[in-house]
Amino acid sequence: MTNLAELWYSVTVRDQDGKVISRERRKSRSMLGNWYRILYAQMSFLSCSLVGTNGIDWGASWNQDNWKFKASADEDYIGIVVGTGTTAVTIDDYKLATQIMHGTGSGQLRYLICTPGTPSVAGSNCDFLTSRVFLNNSGGSIMVRESGIYCRCKGPTYYSYACIVRDVFDTPQAVPDGGSITIDYTLRVTA
Amino acid sequence: MTKGQERKKHPKKALKKTGRVLKPELSYKVEVTDKDGRVIQREEGPSRSYVRQWNEIFQLQAGAVASGGVVKDTSGATQTNAYRTSVCFKCDAGIGYTLNGLRVGKSSTPVSISDYALGSPLAEGTGTDQVEHQLTYFTGPSVVGSTLSFTMQRAFVNHSGAPISGIQEIGVYIFFTAAMMGRVALGFRDALGSPFSIPDGGSITVTYTLKVTA
Repeated sequence: MTNLAELWYSVTVRDQDGKVISRERRKSRSMLGNWYRILYAQMSFLSCSLVGTNGIDWGASWNQDNWKFKASADEDYIGIVVGTGTTAVTIDDYKLATQIMHGTGSGQLRYLICTPGTPSVAGSNCDFLTSRVFLNNSGGSIMVRESGIYCRCKGPTYYSYACIVRDVFDTPQAVPDGGSITIDYTLRVTA
Repeated sequence: MTKGQERKKHPKKALKKTGRVLKPELSYKVEVTDKDGRVIQREEGPSRSYVRQWNEIFQLQAGAVASGGVVKDTSGATQTNAYRTSVCFKCDAGIGYTLNGLRVGKSSTPVSISDYALGSPLAEGTGTDQVEHQLTYFTGPSVVGSTLSFTMQRAFVNHSGAPISGIQEIGVYIFFTAAMMGRVALGFRDALGSPFSIPDGGSITVTYTLKVTA
């Protein structure tokens, strides 16, 4: 079947001098069930079940905050997130397997802002790019093996955060102390 | 270090698969029934396709855009002050309502990423080449095995007194907000493989399935 809405990700690792030391770009695996649950709520103006990143089913209903993944620096509960887990992706994943939290302690990365860009059209594609940079000031190397997107989601009663994308890297990426890792997600629709 | 030296120092590693690819899909089914409810014409296939407004409205939500978003509406006017609201993507149209929801039309123009409306949508009514628009309704998202899916469907009834032929396009009109007003944009559009004809008293039903499979 033709696949006309695609999500791509790229991973770029830099050392402390800003030199690129590793890159990976491929089609995301992938949009999770929660992406479609929020889409259903927005399109139908009805509520449905949705398990948030806290493991609780607070549901999804239509709301202006749904899908928001623009995030400020330090916010590790929204936007593009990274982790060390290697568990295979399943449709009902509701969080990363093992998220790397924001900070400068051992095994932590500093989360910078997450900025969804403006969609652009080239040929028969319309691309929508979102990026986030993570700095390693932990004093040691950190191996990153998974990434994803957490977004804001409103249920019938409570707000929560939903994992809508999760990918396990083909190649684990070692981020040296003083270095950084940049994750780009591109949502592409093609006519 | 030159790019070549850098490549030698850090050669591309062989790619290995980790987990399965979750595949997002959009597909449609179109059925025409006669006045007795018998199916007389049918087509199913993968959708072609989402158009640019889909991503532009998604960006309003993801980016928490408070003002200044740019989206072309179904009239062809470019709205330059679009922003996120709870109605973005809303398409649960009621009976007789043609502003949003699923629509059918007579244009056979191939889909382009910059389409902003159906080429020649059928109007509501019982006059020549008019149809009565029924509810656009949804079945809730459900997981069966490793697939999550939901569907949206709308029937269009022909009480015009004559057959309506040459129906060649389907699509969805979705809400967004700009300049304090509810606006409507094309979300996706498909040109059908063959023209459909609805006999008088008959109907055409369009079903879209949105699914993701692990």
